[in-house]
Amino acid sequence: MIEQSGQMLRIERTFSASAEEVFDAWTSPEVMRRWFRPTPDWGEAPEAEVDLRVGGKVRVVMRRRDGSEVEAQGEYTLIDRPRRLVTTWTFGDDPSNEQLIELFFAESEGATTVLMVNSGISTRDRRDAQDEGWRGCLDELERVFAG
Amino acid sequence: MANDAFRALAHPLRRDIVERLSGGVATVGEVSREFDVSKPTISRHLKTLEEARVVTRVIDGRTHRLALRPEALAEASDWIESQRQRWERLFDVVGEYLEERKERG
Repeated sequence: MIEQSGQMLRIERTFSASAEEVFDAWTSPEVMRRWFRPTPDWGEAPEAEVDLRVGGKVRVVMRRRDGSEVEAQGEYTLIDRPRRLVTTWTFGDDPSNEQLIELFFAESEGATTVLMVNSGISTRDRRDAQDEGWRGCLDELERVFAG
Repeated sequence: MANDAFRALAHPLRRDIVERLSGGVATVGEVSREFDVSKPTISRHLKTLEEARVVTRVIDGRTHRLALRPEALAEASDWIESQRQRWERLFDVVGEYLEERKERG
């Protein structure tokens, strides 16, 4: 939607939780560690760090069950709890590709719909892989809210 | 409940029947003739509509009269409305963001 260059992916998902709860799931290291798992091949993320202020850093280390790890990190550029969150995003296996993640949250009747736009992705293949990965992560997040 | 209504409305002929009945009660024979389809076909579609309680049948001797139950559709309509509101709210959030970006340049 925003970034002119690169590939983009867009995902909408509705969670049975308030906007604050969903927003916090994106910015709380304890909760992030539970759902940054792109497929069932991935276990709980061993590390997550959040410095929730504009210019602050966010970092997650995801780990496959075979022990291999992928790190992702970014910098918050907009924080408007519980409605909007924007961060740059760079995966450790493609460090020259700084991407953008824009999140929009809207609560209605006790459920919150999230629109996620991930833009500036270097290649089509990466876009497709990330699209699948994020969807897997959001499946996990649904499980977090399910109890 | 709303799911049943959506299932009932999933076929174009059933939507035509609902539209016809919204104009007033009709007999099975009338509906069958108006849409130029066979009795068995109409019966099958009417069964779906009746199971979803979108249509009720009043039997008067040998005449079967069909009437619409608008309240069954109201549930489906409420569901669509709640989805619409949800998305409108989300679009508002996105719209404000885009507006602010434009102002920042």
